[in-house]
Amino acid sequence: MADYRELWSNLGMDLEKHDVLCAVLPELYGGVYLSQKNRPEGMNYYNFVVSEVHGLRIKELDDHRKAGGKVVGTFCVFVPDELILAAGAIGVGLCGGSQFWIEDGEKVLPRNICPLVKAIVGAKVSGTCPYFQSCDMLTGETTCDGKKKAWEILSEYAPIHVMDLPQMKRDKDYKKWAEEIYDYKAKLEELTGNKITEESLSAAIKLCNRKREALQRLYNARKALNVPISGKDALLISQIAFYDNPERFIEMTNKLCDELESRIKEGVGVTGKNSPRIMITGTPMAIPNWKMHHLIEESGAVVVCEETCTGTRYFEKPVDETQTTMEGMIKALADRYLNINCACFTPNKGREEDIVRLAKEYGADGVIYYNLQFCHTYNIEYRQVEKALKEAGIPIIFIETDYSNDDTGQLQTRIEAFLEMVK
Amino acid sequence: MEEQNYYILFPNVTEGLKLEKQLKENSIKYTIVPTPRELSKCCGICIMYEKENEDAIKQAVEKQGIKTEGFKSLPKRKPAVKFI
Repeated sequence: MADYRELWSNLGMDLEKHDVLCAVLPELYGGVYLSQKNRPEGMNYYNFVVSEVHGLRIKELDDHRKAGGKVVGTFCVFVPDELILAAGAIGVGLCGGSQFWIEDGEKVLPRNICPLVKAIVGAKVSGTCPYFQSCDMLTGETTCDGKKKAWEILSEYAPIHVMDLPQMKRDKDYKKWAEEIYDYKAKLEELTGNKITEESLSAAIKLCNRKREALQRLYNARKALNVPISGKDALLISQIAFYDNPERFIEMTNKLCDELESRIKEGVGVTGKNSPRIMITGTPMAIPNWKMHHLIEESGAVVVCEETCTGTRYFEKPVDETQTTMEGMIKALADRYLNINCACFTPNKGREEDIVRLAKEYGADGVIYYNLQFCHTYNIEYRQVEKALKEAGIPIIFIETDYSNDDTGQLQTRIEAFLEMVK
Repeated sequence: MEEQNYYILFPNVTEGLKLEKQLKENSIKYTIVPTPRELSKCCGICIMYEKENEDAIKQAVEKQGIKTEGFKSLPKRKPAVKFI
């Protein structure tokens, strides 16, 4: 097999520790993904990406850097990929979804904070994530308190630019976010030595919109009565969207969608028509966090939609492509991105409306509110979401968890009881 | 003998993708999977296939001059799901 150890070593990785992660991934992927029945053939592409997750893509980043290109890491769907691409850099989503990184995260962070933040920091501190190691610059943002303070720690390990995200949606906040985007543009130009032009930004906007369209097409297929793809496969595709080559990802996802659309015509589904249809809402699920989807689908239900940052928040609402001036394009980016409904905003009525709309669009029988431990904003916002869904007559359950295996039995019982109730 | 899963290993990803192209063109069923740890310590792709297609695959490998690191098998078992 391909030997990437020299590449990893050159990136300053801890090879011995990293090998522990390499050793367990095939087994986990086998148990969660390859054991599924009636999977679409197009999933072979994503099997390939996961198999080469620390191999081929890292080699591609390395080749890009050797040719003088830069790699920029991001942690949030509010950071516009368009600017990174327009500067000729490659963007990679770095959010950590593995328990593997928690222990190292806890060496420098308090234990009672969100697992995603601990995993992000642990991945960098331990030198076991080749994506982190490939980044010339990181881009933080001020979404939650945990991340905001974690950047100060990460800045000891890598250069980081922090975007100050407003947390209200008044006119002046849109203006402020546009200013932040201008600053980010200047920072990226300085890093890469490339000027972001109207042409390059316009092309990047179109590329990112094509990626959004491909993901929307995938999600549309999940609205079918006989769902042609499992929720965990769809989740995997969304997770991969954050670090794969965009053109290749768009091509392969559209190919998969061709297959899914044929399946719908032929009435081929992954479960029976009577399986409960579940929608997830809440905090992000970064790779390889497949825990909740696995538990739900092992209980005989199918996940049809995720109103999360690794779901609809990532791809809904394209950026206006009709702008031709730099000012117009930056404003279009600011308008699209600040319009995402994250619980870090107050008030956040838009999210309640999104959840009710999506639950209806995807024909969800029930909604699982997924909350990563210690995520205060999503935790607190449950009350309003629950109220809105009750009014709409849609059952909802709140589940708080982390990345560990400790609570899987208990969660399974709660999920099964909920499925019993909704169907 | 217990039921087996069958795998083809490759020296690099390019050779694996070359074979995938052949399998696709010849409508031979296959699954790309992460290389099982029992077969190699180096991570990366390998191809899982059905035993009944082995001869046809071997012919394609030979004809196209695709480099492999062998056709292997492992006893079929249910993988343990332990989240990492």
